[in-house]
Amino acid sequence: MTIFRPLMALLVALLLTACSASNMGQLEVDENGETVTRVYSNNSLLSSRISVPDLKQKKVGDLLYMQATLENDWKFQLDFQYKVKFFDADGFELQPEAQPWRQVVMAGRSQNNIKAIAPNPSAVRFEIWVQE
Amino acid sequence: MRRVLTMIMLGAAVALSGCSTVDYGDAQARETVNTDFGSTDLQMIASKMVDDMLVFPPIVQLTQNRRPVVFVDSIKNKTTEHIDTESITDTIQSKLLNSGKFRFVDMTKVESVREQLDYQSESGLVDPNTAAQMGRQIGAEFMMYGNFSSIVKREGSTKDVYYKFTLKLMNIQTGIIEWANEKEIRKTQKKSLFGM
Repeated sequence: MTIFRPLMALLVALLLTACSASNMGQLEVDENGETVTRVYSNNSLLSSRISVPDLKQKKVGDLLYMQATLENDWKFQLDFQYKVKFFDADGFELQPEAQPWRQVVMAGRSQNNIKAIAPNPSAVRFEIWVQE
Repeated sequence: MRRVLTMIMLGAAVALSGCSTVDYGDAQARETVNTDFGSTDLQMIASKMVDDMLVFPPIVQLTQNRRPVVFVDSIKNKTTEHIDTESITDTIQSKLLNSGKFRFVDMTKVESVREQLDYQSESGLVDPNTAAQMGRQIGAEFMMYGNFSSIVKREGSTKDVYYKFTLKLMNIQTGIIEWANEKEIRKTQKKSLFGM
């Protein structure tokens, strides 16, 4: 009985262990001619481990094309998802259901460039959203 | 004894009666139920193909002042799974169409269109001034086609699946492939004792 009780506790603990959390963070990028990077998040853990040291955008034809350098400031591998949202001049999000969450796995203390192209020529700015 | 038996049966009935719930989820969220081809794979492939095609310099130049007409041929499914590859090309087609850079002809609807044209021109019910004319369709300039293959490996409780999706854009008149790209996906499943 004395062995049975700790075993049961261990089993219950294993069964109750959650595999993932639905935390979401946001890295917002506001474009007004000059590149202005603002980063805020409601997931302090994830946002404290990701930084955006470089951000670029250009027009490819008449489509807005962006590249963001994400840096994993943590010493361990980071596994998260990102989504790039594009907005028109009036602030309406373009084709919100056409932009999937994209998986990225970054080794500890490494950088990764993410790229995305606007779904149509009316895009003028974008936001990068991240979640675990 | 009879009362105990009734209680056991009642207990078993309560225990076995499953409680089913239906809920809506984010269609764009990551789906990792198993290693089979899933919605996330489809979305990743479509996004990668469209993004790469729209930034490829010769394609940018090609679509600068006009919207080339494309027809989508089938994607050859060489994987071991039953995958609706038309669903992948449908998503790619929608994204390209919405980009304003390409136009498409739908070869799966040729017979329906022919029937409608016959009806408009021969039934006598349609005003000839508004009837669509035969022989006025625009020919496709490019053909989009590709392959989808996979390599599956199993070792003990580990399963590794590698997918490779290849898409090409060929100029129908010259036979030259103007653009091609690949998307690779690796999925690994490990079964642990407690399934966590």
